[in-house]
Amino acid sequence: MVDQALRSLAQFLPETALAVCFCLAILVGIIFRRRPQIVPVVALVGITVAVWFAIQQTGSSESVFSGMIVVDPFAAFFKIVIGTTAILILLFSIYSSEVQSTIKRLVEYSSLLVAMTLGMFLMAGSANLLMMVLSIELTGLSSYVLAGYTKEAPDSSEASLKYIIYGALSTGLMLYGISILFGLTGGALEFSDINKALAGGSVSPLALLVASLLIIAGLGYKISAVPFHFWTPDVYEGAPVTITAFLSVASKAAGFAMLIRFFKVSFIDSNVVGLPAGFWASLQDFEWNKIVAILSVLTMTLGNLVAVWQNNLKRLLAYSSIAHAGYMLMGVVVLSDKGIAAVLIYFVVYLLMNLGAFYIVMLIEAKTGSEDIDSYKGLGYRSPFISVAMVIFFISLAGIPPTAGFIGKLFLFAALLDAKWIWLAIVGAINSVISLYYYVRVVRNMFLRDPEGAKTPIAFSLPQFAILVILVIPTLVFGLYYSPIVELANASLSMFGLP
Amino acid sequence: MDIQPYLLLSAITFVIGVVGVLARRNAIIVFMSIELMLNSVNLSLVAFSAFLGDVTGQMLVFFVMTVAAAEAAVGLAIIIALFRNKQTVNIDDINILKW
Amino acid sequence: MLETYIPIFVVIAGGIVFGIVMVKLNEWLGPRRPTDEKLSTYESGMEPVRTARERFSVKFYMVAVLFILFDIEVVFLYPWAVAFKELGVAGYITMTVFIVILLIGLFYVWRKGALEWD
Repeated sequence: MVDQALRSLAQFLPETALAVCFCLAILVGIIFRRRPQIVPVVALVGITVAVWFAIQQTGSSESVFSGMIVVDPFAAFFKIVIGTTAILILLFSIYSSEVQSTIKRLVEYSSLLVAMTLGMFLMAGSANLLMMVLSIELTGLSSYVLAGYTKEAPDSSEASLKYIIYGALSTGLMLYGISILFGLTGGALEFSDINKALAGGSVSPLALLVASLLIIAGLGYKISAVPFHFWTPDVYEGAPVTITAFLSVASKAAGFAMLIRFFKVSFIDSNVVGLPAGFWASLQDFEWNKIVAILSVLTMTLGNLVAVWQNNLKRLLAYSSIAHAGYMLMGVVVLSDKGIAAVLIYFVVYLLMNLGAFYIVMLIEAKTGSEDIDSYKGLGYRSPFISVAMVIFFISLAGIPPTAGFIGKLFLFAALLDAKWIWLAIVGAINSVISLYYYVRVVRNMFLRDPEGAKTPIAFSLPQFAILVILVIPTLVFGLYYSPIVELANASLSMFGLP
Repeated sequence: MDIQPYLLLSAITFVIGVVGVLARRNAIIVFMSIELMLNSVNLSLVAFSAFLGDVTGQMLVFFVMTVAAAEAAVGLAIIIALFRNKQTVNIDDINILKW
Repeated sequence: MLETYIPIFVVIAGGIVFGIVMVKLNEWLGPRRPTDEKLSTYESGMEPVRTARERFSVKFYMVAVLFILFDIEVVFLYPWAVAFKELGVAGYITMTVFIVILLIGLFYVWRKGALEWD
């Protein structure tokens, strides 16, 4: 038993590194009380090591800790995406006025960020209903606290309370769904066992539908899919910008990893023959992808329509991130490798452009003290480089060539057309057009409007520019030279236990 | 063993919990309703576990209990932070951000 | 099979009836002359100072939060204690790691001063 655990531990290095880093960060924080600035460095080193271990895992395909967690290229891909986001967020935090104004709590900030990353790593790899609940909770509990990090600001603690109430409600719903599924499948917790039980036995379709809807409620909350999105705008507006950016990319990535793995492994029908290569079928009389299709349409339509009316840029980006979750759900609907690959490609692209946009919101807020779209009037003259970068991120978010965002959408729509989901592709295209309106509105404010109030140029330091350049260059380069991400995505498709 | 009564009781308490979360306005009572939801999950898990003669269900219950405790602790801490800002725990008064 | 329990039911029923009868008899026979003193809250002979319906200090919350967290760990220690022999060294190492992590948490709480009342 001991050597079995040790063998599992060898495949569990990224998570172990994060767990050790979390404990170390807390200890360093209380031992060197006078110098809390050390702790972010510890966190940065820990997460970097974890990402390095995750990169080593891209080739392996194993199940560890008696089926609780799997290590496969699919999980490794998401771990790299999440870890990279965490590193960038820690770099952003150096220039965040919200984080730096409460320097005494830097210990909690950094260590909770590590804990949240650990939770997301586990979410990407969990292959068991129990592990699924625990990892969602670990992510959730750290993010509830981080959302209320600037606790002196009433809107931050309010965001935190709303977040935990919705979070606890959706975990409750998901747990109830899990208990029903547990009974239905005769005590199966592992995804592959659920699949065997469902494929072999005669399970009541109604009970299965109820259980899956309840589980979708929990997962939909993590990826902020409509109608489980109510927390998103409030939390994104109230939380510190760095945390908002982290939630909008990493939390969504972890949620998608879990959703794809749970539904694909649990409900795949491996007896269906005669499908085109790269396609699979869901179990008969349970077409979960139709439910996801409805969610996808609701999510992108509501996200885009409400974003049009927003005046706070953080809130606008919140609704835009809801809409992006809707686009990515389209890739899950089609039940094909191409669809999943498109989702993975979209995540790489989304990481760059969304983090970039939030970073600029953070920089501007630190200088002007406002997140309103009106305060961006005339920014093109006050700070040309930042404004041009913002335009690049925004046209990428809208999906216009020659940016990376276009490539993301291109592969999604190609997968949809390939699987003959024409109506969904049309809905997605209409939504992209709507989204153009509100992105252009901000761009118009920056370049075609005169500045209100101060007209002096806004200066930024060199490292601040450097971080921006790290995000801008790939956004442009991947728009033209995209084969590396496509190859990475195609190599990351295989999941443990599936052909 | 007849499992129906247990599942029925679990379903009823779960619904009471959900209604409590959605309808009550006091943040503490909302958290108590969430506890009720999680405990109804525990009841149905224990019932299934006894019915199937499989202890994994009971193991799951231990973890659900821990999760519930952790959630309650973080929830209480957030309520304290909010109370210090606003002197209220009524959800209707917590409305700087529109719902 | 149920017949064997009849004496127990008789005793329980007798107990309930006896209890109710005694309370009601007391209410019916005993003299009642209430004064302010008699109606006030019983505080083990001390004079009650204030009303009981007031807000408690928020410090109690902190203690409650910490109590929940460190209390729930027992849920994992019990099954381990029951299956201690079967789990052997692997179980021992696992639980040691678990408890060390909890101790780090306790150390943190202590150094942050959350255990002090003032």
